[in-house]
Amino acid sequence: MANIELRNLSKRWGSFTGVQTLDLTISDGEFLVLLGPSGCGKTTTMRMIAGLEDATDGDILIGGRRVNDLEPKDRDIAMVFQSYGLYPTMSVYENIRFPLKVRRIPEAEHHDRVMRAAETVELTEFLQRKPAALSGGQRQRVALARAIVRKPKVFLMDEPLSNLDAKLRVSTRAQIKNLHHELKTTTIYVTHDQIEAMTLADRVVVMRRGEVQQVGTPLEIYDRPANTFVASFIGSPAMNLIEGVVTAGIFEAPHVRIPGLQAPDGPVTLGFRAEDAALADGGEITAPIYSMELLGDSSMATVQVGGTLVAIKAPKAFAGSIGQPIAAHVPARICHLFDARSGARLSA
Amino acid sequence: MTTRIADRRPPALLIALNGFLVVWLVIAAFPFLWTFWGSFKVEGDFFSKADWMNAITGPLTTAETGSSFTATGYVGAWVQEEFWRAALNSAIVVVSVVCISLTFGTLGGYALARSSYRYAFWLLLVALVFRAMPPVTLVSGYLLPFFEWNLWGHLPTAIIVLVAINQPFTLWMLTSFFRNIPKDLDESAMVDGCSRFQAFRYVIIPVMWPGVITTGLFSFLLAYNDFAVTAMLLSKENQTMIPKIASFLGTTQTKGNVMFAVSSVVSVTAPLFVLVMFFQRQIVSGLTAGAVKG
Repeated sequence: MANIELRNLSKRWGSFTGVQTLDLTISDGEFLVLLGPSGCGKTTTMRMIAGLEDATDGDILIGGRRVNDLEPKDRDIAMVFQSYGLYPTMSVYENIRFPLKVRRIPEAEHHDRVMRAAETVELTEFLQRKPAALSGGQRQRVALARAIVRKPKVFLMDEPLSNLDAKLRVSTRAQIKNLHHELKTTTIYVTHDQIEAMTLADRVVVMRRGEVQQVGTPLEIYDRPANTFVASFIGSPAMNLIEGVVTAGIFEAPHVRIPGLQAPDGPVTLGFRAEDAALADGGEITAPIYSMELLGDSSMATVQVGGTLVAIKAPKAFAGSIGQPIAAHVPARICHLFDARSGARLSA
Repeated sequence: MTTRIADRRPPALLIALNGFLVVWLVIAAFPFLWTFWGSFKVEGDFFSKADWMNAITGPLTTAETGSSFTATGYVGAWVQEEFWRAALNSAIVVVSVVCISLTFGTLGGYALARSSYRYAFWLLLVALVFRAMPPVTLVSGYLLPFFEWNLWGHLPTAIIVLVAINQPFTLWMLTSFFRNIPKDLDESAMVDGCSRFQAFRYVIIPVMWPGVITTGLFSFLLAYNDFAVTAMLLSKENQTMIPKIASFLGTTQTKGNVMFAVSSVVSVTAPLFVLVMFFQRQIVSGLTAGAVKG
């Protein structure tokens, strides 16, 4: 158990910057998710913490101790890889036992600890099999068991679910969440999937091009995105963003007129979530339907406003046809305003 | 009932296909079968000027030895001419070359496969150039210094030269095998508590066995079949099997005993069959690779 501190952490390859002066403190027992599109530096950050990549600048502290110059084996971490990284020549049992063996933990303890780890991830039936004879989900659980068998200070998970099919992903996600609740080990989890981030994290770090965009609880990030990038990355569907102009508190764009905003005059980007808006006659947005999608519990109506598509949640029973004009109620209180140029959040 | 496509082919085509296979097999195996059969005859029969059928029926063999097969070729070569000594030398050379090549090859190949520096590429390219050169070009350059330093004629000298000729190839082959092993495997081993070398030793090498065996086999063949290096660098008493066979065949100056050569050729070929059959599974999986995905 330990907290992790990243101070001014940077990674550069020649002129390319992978991670830019990252400052972050992860408290003991926290589940932190690094979220971002591919190439945003989230995996590089994790690999630097693991010691698989050297930091160009800055310090990494685990439990108050600077670990920059330590080998991965001396950092007391466990890592789950996207491709599992199981040892193909060893049985499941030997795979789970491997960390104990190389770390010279007394042999008498091995069997108990392997069995306990295997039970935790429900693998006891498969202990004698080779990894090649397992399904993707089972392999992932072997990787998890191998990580937990040793009770390390920190778990690092690099997109552990992305090779699994959608259904298995949901159940394994729940398993990881439960596992963290039981073990309370500091965990850093890398993903590009915002749903995983929202469901698992105590705190989310949204990254883009090597820089941190926002750090916060899933709710904070969802409710108050720091900029248009975070707004368009989080949520399903992502936040609607409309470019327009505010004049005397009234936002205007083609088909859109939203009064009652507290913002200085000038161009802005206005955002709102599809689920916050509602269909209503005489609403702030009036436009013909571009497409209709049935989601099961509701429908999603999309209209075209200026050059962008705007999604609005509609009741399941709503049967609109393409081209039919609709109106949506988008009150000022559900709107987020962003700077038109920098994309940064304006005011509240 | 499922019918395989092969069963639906017209019988004439099947006969033609199988006939072709049989003919091909006979043609391919013929030189060896001919030599094997003939090695139990006397020279007068195997190299008969009167009738080539004599090599098969062996009238002179019956006349000279009283039986239609004789082991005089083998006894002469192995006992009288001490071919066993050459066999022993070959064994020493081959085992040493394989062990040394594989030791350096696995370590170097692993390093090159995992290196992110550009020089790794150039090293491999240079290795390829050296591999492409005929061995004789190297040997001629070695001769003078070896005479000067009194190194000529000894087994270790030939071993070192053979390793030098063989190493570029082993490096190439093993590097490509190592590249097929996902990096995640090393990394998870290192996070699990291994040093770089332990990861190599406990995790990578077990996965690499087919590759190591295949490469080892090729090194074996190179050393075993070598003539250029061993013929020029070894003194007569240290000769390995292939130059020894060549000396049985004689030169323009000396008369050889051809039947000794024939029986030795058969003796040299036999272990190769055993070897390939013994390791065939590993060789096949080594050659096809891809069997390493976890």
